[in-house]
Amino acid sequence: MAKVLEGPGMGLMRKWGISVPSYVVVSSAEQFDQLAQANDWIQRGKLVAKAHEALGSRFKLGLVKVGLDLAGAKAAVREMLGRQVGSITVSQVIVSEMVPHKDEYYAAVKSTREGADVLVANCGGIEVESNWDRVKRLSLEVGTTPSPDALEKLAKEAGFSGTLAKQVADFAGKLFACFDGEDAQYLEVNPVVAREGDGALVALDAVTLLDADAKFRHPDWNFQYAAEFGRAYTQHELDVMAVDSKIKGSVKFIEIPGGDTAMLPAGGGASVYYSDAVVARGGKLANYAEYSGDPADWAVEVLTDKVCSLPGIKNIIVGGAIANFTDVKKTFGGIIAGFRKAKSEGKLNGVKIWVRRGGPREKEGLDAMRALREEGFDIHVYDRHTPLTDIVDMALQKSK
Amino acid sequence: MSILANKDTHVVIQGGAAGLNAARRMAEFRYMIKQPLNVKAFVYPPDTGKMNEVTYGSGLLTIPVYKSVAEATSKHPEINTSLVYIGADRACAGGMEALNDPKIQLVSMITEGVPEKDAKLLARHAIKLGKTFNGPSSIGIISAGACRLGVIGGAFDNLVACKLYREGSFGVITKSGGLSNEIIWICSQFADGISTAIGIGGDAYPGTDYVTYLEKFEQDPQTKAVVIVGEMGGDLEERAAEWYGAKKRRVKLLAVVSGFCQESLPKGMKFGHAGAKEGMKGEGSARSKSDALKEAGAIVPDTFGALGPAIKQVYEDLVKSGQVRPIPELSPADVPKLPKTVEEGMKAGDVMVAPLIKTTISDDRGDEPCYDGYPASELINKGYEIPHVIGLLWDKRLISKQEAEIIKRIMMLSADHGPCVSAALTTIVAACAGIGLSQAVAAGLIMIGPRFGGAVTDAGRYFKYAVDNRMTVDDFLAHMKKNVGPVPGIGHRVKSVRNPDKRVKELVSYIKGLGIPAPHLDFALAVEKVTSAKKENLILNVDGTMAAVLVDIGFPVDSLNGFFILSRTIGLIGHWVDQKRQESRLIRLFDYLVNYAAPKRREVPPLK
Repeated sequence: MAKVLEGPGMGLMRKWGISVPSYVVVSSAEQFDQLAQANDWIQRGKLVAKAHEALGSRFKLGLVKVGLDLAGAKAAVREMLGRQVGSITVSQVIVSEMVPHKDEYYAAVKSTREGADVLVANCGGIEVESNWDRVKRLSLEVGTTPSPDALEKLAKEAGFSGTLAKQVADFAGKLFACFDGEDAQYLEVNPVVAREGDGALVALDAVTLLDADAKFRHPDWNFQYAAEFGRAYTQHELDVMAVDSKIKGSVKFIEIPGGDTAMLPAGGGASVYYSDAVVARGGKLANYAEYSGDPADWAVEVLTDKVCSLPGIKNIIVGGAIANFTDVKKTFGGIIAGFRKAKSEGKLNGVKIWVRRGGPREKEGLDAMRALREEGFDIHVYDRHTPLTDIVDMALQKSK
Repeated sequence: MSILANKDTHVVIQGGAAGLNAARRMAEFRYMIKQPLNVKAFVYPPDTGKMNEVTYGSGLLTIPVYKSVAEATSKHPEINTSLVYIGADRACAGGMEALNDPKIQLVSMITEGVPEKDAKLLARHAIKLGKTFNGPSSIGIISAGACRLGVIGGAFDNLVACKLYREGSFGVITKSGGLSNEIIWICSQFADGISTAIGIGGDAYPGTDYVTYLEKFEQDPQTKAVVIVGEMGGDLEERAAEWYGAKKRRVKLLAVVSGFCQESLPKGMKFGHAGAKEGMKGEGSARSKSDALKEAGAIVPDTFGALGPAIKQVYEDLVKSGQVRPIPELSPADVPKLPKTVEEGMKAGDVMVAPLIKTTISDDRGDEPCYDGYPASELINKGYEIPHVIGLLWDKRLISKQEAEIIKRIMMLSADHGPCVSAALTTIVAACAGIGLSQAVAAGLIMIGPRFGGAVTDAGRYFKYAVDNRMTVDDFLAHMKKNVGPVPGIGHRVKSVRNPDKRVKELVSYIKGLGIPAPHLDFALAVEKVTSAKKENLILNVDGTMAAVLVDIGFPVDSLNGFFILSRTIGLIGHWVDQKRQESRLIRLFDYLVNYAAPKRREVPPLK
């Protein structure tokens, strides 16, 4: 799942014939001035400025300003750029035309097991969240396209009538086409508004989640995905992502500030059980990590380096199930190299390391880990006969 | 009995290297259960017509590669299952191709990173055709004692440790590949092992869900209990709970669900597989899944670690109620073993191998090469140079600083001699014809022989013969005239007494200046004195000088030509690179440089 910011999200919708307000995404005040000179609508109409970052509650943070004239928009751009919110620095502002309207509606398409649901409501904005029963749904099987009649029936069910029902059906049809054509997993327009004057339906705000796995058939996806948890990726996280994109198998790393138990487990399934075990034993996770699919030893070494660099950690959990084909000796070789490097940089003082693993060449790998004791590591090594998460129990008992 | 994969499963593997690796793992399993390999064909268009090699026990099987699934199933009509190892961008088409083949009933997709829409299309198509589509991102399916599809179960030792050579009573369904193996292990330690274990893949929308497989397990008399390893996200676990709670089921259900850590993490942070994403308003959370399963009557231990004892409890109850009879363990002698490779056998001291070649100069088996026992890096760091490496590899000895200096000078003097000499000219002609470096240089080196640069060894041999036998110059020349012919190392095409070879003078005066004993050089110079008096160009040439000096410092006669070959290679490489840099064009000899002495043009007589 890949979240896409408003700018590129609206670009995709426009590609599929959905009306969106005119907008520009700028990363400096000078750039905005230049674009203002080139675009008539910026000089004449009322404008909206929003921080173009993966941030929740932008309105409350003062990162959405509406009803601006050109001077006001310039001021807003200047003020927002560089603002620090948690770990995010506002580096882009999206300025769009304000679309005069009265009524607000809601439209979305959501991936389901069978295919997709098209959702519409004849209320929008915050109103729809408190009136979820007014959202009506059309479920579609994968590979099928909703007919105009079915969409009009949906619009009527949702309380639209006359030409507006037809308009809403047309809008929902285009939204579905965009969803299907762009391999989206979730598209939400809230609000959809009827523009004063011509009454055309315009998408004012877009939430766009794409299927990152489908990127191979979308050469025009030239935008970056946004972090999904309300903060920017850290440099360490970006480093690991860069390694991940280069190798067979995968390495993953997410930092969780304030934790004291560092995770360095194998496998997408087991890693979460290890994280669960830490939380269940009252520990505080310092990160999430995972290596799987028999990755190169150097990739695991990079991951190890990042894990060892986490501040204030007391334990490192090198857990893993019994691998099918990940070479334990090879991947442990990467971890051991990372540990040695960290130790030489004075990073692992007072840190206990807990290992449990099985799989191809498990004996060689575990023996090599065990041998680290002689190099002064506080390391505790267990094989397949110790249940998966028992090392977490031992780690957290001892550190108390 | 088992489900999905059994003794009658015959497989086509769609894909390249990963598919071949899977076939090898599957062959290990079949060897363990003493059954022939069930992989009948591969489909991989780039390798059409080739045969893939698969080790089976101590033998090697060859399995054909076809262009299409249809071709594979028409040649091997027993095929009923396809494993898809094709890249994510072509996986959908490959999966559809397999599903559309009338012979194929089960398609299991191992490919990871398949777009969600493609996975859904495949799943829908399979349902329409009444077939089973498993995956994507599936680690595989394994039925103990019968059939392995994919790499599930891991290495051979693990298959044996998990007693996968015979059926147990527990079915397993997991999203995670690694955990499938863990559960198989737990079932073999805490109970009697598994019947069938299925990896359904960790994607958001697996082609086949828990319920479909639970229904199949329910119909399989061998399976007495099923273990589900769930994850947060989606509603598959809830559906399984619904199925289990709907009516009295024959199989016992045990389950664990991961993702509780989500509750104490920043909102929106998601871990693990693609399918493990937090739903809206708590739906799809680990807690709601776990609660639903508990309410439906499933056994849901609080932690993964408690799963083993829970499985043990279920197993003991099954034994007590007579539903399961404990299986006697195999005696150690009967436990299946994979034949050892030669390397493993040697390591264990079980086999003796007669070596094919023997080396006495170098060893590459450590982290760096050792020359005559000395690590290359240590030689470098202690100040040794190229001539010392030559000494070690050509004469197995660490030569002195002075000897090294002599060799260095010899090499510098003979590194090149312009473009006109045989070797350089040949390399240049080759370079101009577009021939690559190694071939062009080799062509030049071929010119080194009795008439050009290759007289060093022979010169050394005869000078040594003379000195060893304390011959006088006259005796030596008579001996050579009678038995050999012209004296190697004496004589030059253009140089003479009046036009001396500066290289020879340089080397001779350096050696003389050192004041070291040089009996062979002295002898060679004495020979020159006599021969050059007879004829001006019968001087000691560079080959002869090098030979005498090298024999003086103790190099074996057979290595002597090597000094010229090695030195001149430097020049030949230079000539090749030089021509390349100039982008020289093809050259040919001008006909005015040829004396055409062939008969004049004449009429061909009628063929008789």
